[in-house]
Amino acid sequence: MATNKGDINDGGAESFLTLGPDNSVTVRYHPDFGPHSDLILLEVPDDSVLNDLLRGRVTIRGQFDEDAVLCTPSSTYAMKFVGTSNSVFLIPPGNPNLSDPQPNPLVSVLKLAPGNVELVLTAPRLDKLRFLLMQRLYKIDEEDEEDCSSEGLYTWHDLICSIQASDEELREGLKFLSAVEINGFWRIVHPKSVNMILTMVLTNSVLHDWSLDALVEEEVLSVLESDGFNTTIVKHCLETFGTKNENDNSKLWGLDKKRIAVHFAKQVLGSNGGKMRLEIFIEKWMRNVQKGTPFDLNMLEGEVLYETIGAETWIKAFSVADLPLTPDARFSVLFKERAKWAWKDLEPYVRDLRVPGISSEGLLIKYTRRVQPNADAEPIFSAR
Amino acid sequence: MEIKVKCNCGVENCSEWAILELQGVVESQPSIANQIRGLEIGRLCCSSSSSQVNYTFTVGYHELSGTKVSLKKPLLVLKKNKQEEGSVSNNEVDLEVIGIIRHKILFKNRPKAIISRPQVKDKKASD
Repeated sequence: MATNKGDINDGGAESFLTLGPDNSVTVRYHPDFGPHSDLILLEVPDDSVLNDLLRGRVTIRGQFDEDAVLCTPSSTYAMKFVGTSNSVFLIPPGNPNLSDPQPNPLVSVLKLAPGNVELVLTAPRLDKLRFLLMQRLYKIDEEDEEDCSSEGLYTWHDLICSIQASDEELREGLKFLSAVEINGFWRIVHPKSVNMILTMVLTNSVLHDWSLDALVEEEVLSVLESDGFNTTIVKHCLETFGTKNENDNSKLWGLDKKRIAVHFAKQVLGSNGGKMRLEIFIEKWMRNVQKGTPFDLNMLEGEVLYETIGAETWIKAFSVADLPLTPDARFSVLFKERAKWAWKDLEPYVRDLRVPGISSEGLLIKYTRRVQPNADAEPIFSAR
Repeated sequence: MEIKVKCNCGVENCSEWAILELQGVVESQPSIANQIRGLEIGRLCCSSSSSQVNYTFTVGYHELSGTKVSLKKPLLVLKKNKQEEGSVSNNEVDLEVIGIIRHKILFKNRPKAIISRPQVKDKKASD
């Protein structure tokens, strides 16, 4: 009897599968037949997942109170056990006649399988990532503070064990949150600190006559380092607001005027919920943004909402990046903010929703009620 | 918590397991109770007619007919291993791929009761 099930080699699966016409074989219960609840059947949805599984690139992630998910390097699958009422007899490989010589060919069934685990492609569960990283925002002078504990701080490995997403999806999630790795911990930088560094970069650009389209990385880092700013954070600021052009050997960064304009718009309005009269906002915004920056309100799509109060138009901070990632929670927050949405206002707040197997139209059908009085009128969406 | 799914067999060498599947339940005589290990279940025969290959599985006085089916989605056989004491990882369990199933022989027609010869009307056995 085999003690290690990886070595079971006396089931006769090959004889079973290659049984030819006019031949027969006896099927019996394996001498070791039993529940073998440590053996699980996993249905593999496609060749790509099969490949990842056979090359040992797959892990199962989750906390004890969560449903487990299976992660390949790039995708996340929910695991669902599906039972069967059929009798599914499992036959191991190998030749039973070797260990248990019989006059006739023999096939042995090791176990009756109650069902198998199915894999369902699922969106990565990343809302928890923002929640974890918001626990301790990175502030510029924090090294000076007394609290040196690592409570509320997460390394890459900590995140893998807590977040149900594949490595690639986790990295994308970190990028989406503009998180940065400092001293081995992934951090979101406090908005005030982000603003401080960006302002320093812009002020120094004027002082040193730097071109914002071609900032020399070394120069920026060394000037700001001498002013006491951590180079990792300054580099992160360049990544957040710019794009690298690798020209020759020097690393050059071009700052994106739109990203900067949006940043200052948010500074003027304050965090979510902050609102003011539109004319006042525009005046303050223009003062903050670089001269010569072409900016227009369309840049703020997905960042602000407009309200008419009396005869005035008010503008209010409402950023899609702060909203939940799962469709049901997202629509719930959206309809709490406003009972009815015109499509042109709603679209920037739903265009990033991704659910495997459902199209954007499908999501609208599932979570909203659509009303269109006539063919010329704009459709209005409300909660189901 | 992260559990790695190991595979020592690699893409080429994964052992092929198989499945025999039927609708219903195989029961042993009450006198046997749980002492079924090593006991014969039935006899599997293969025959071919025109283009098709058919299988017949005879269990007791029932005769089932079925065919070989290729699984559209293969099944992997995974084994849960309890970690040994003093292992590096702090998980209690790991998983290993020990086999793959690409084909099964499926019996989904109602069993025919073999009562006597010559031919009698099929008494459909209860499911």
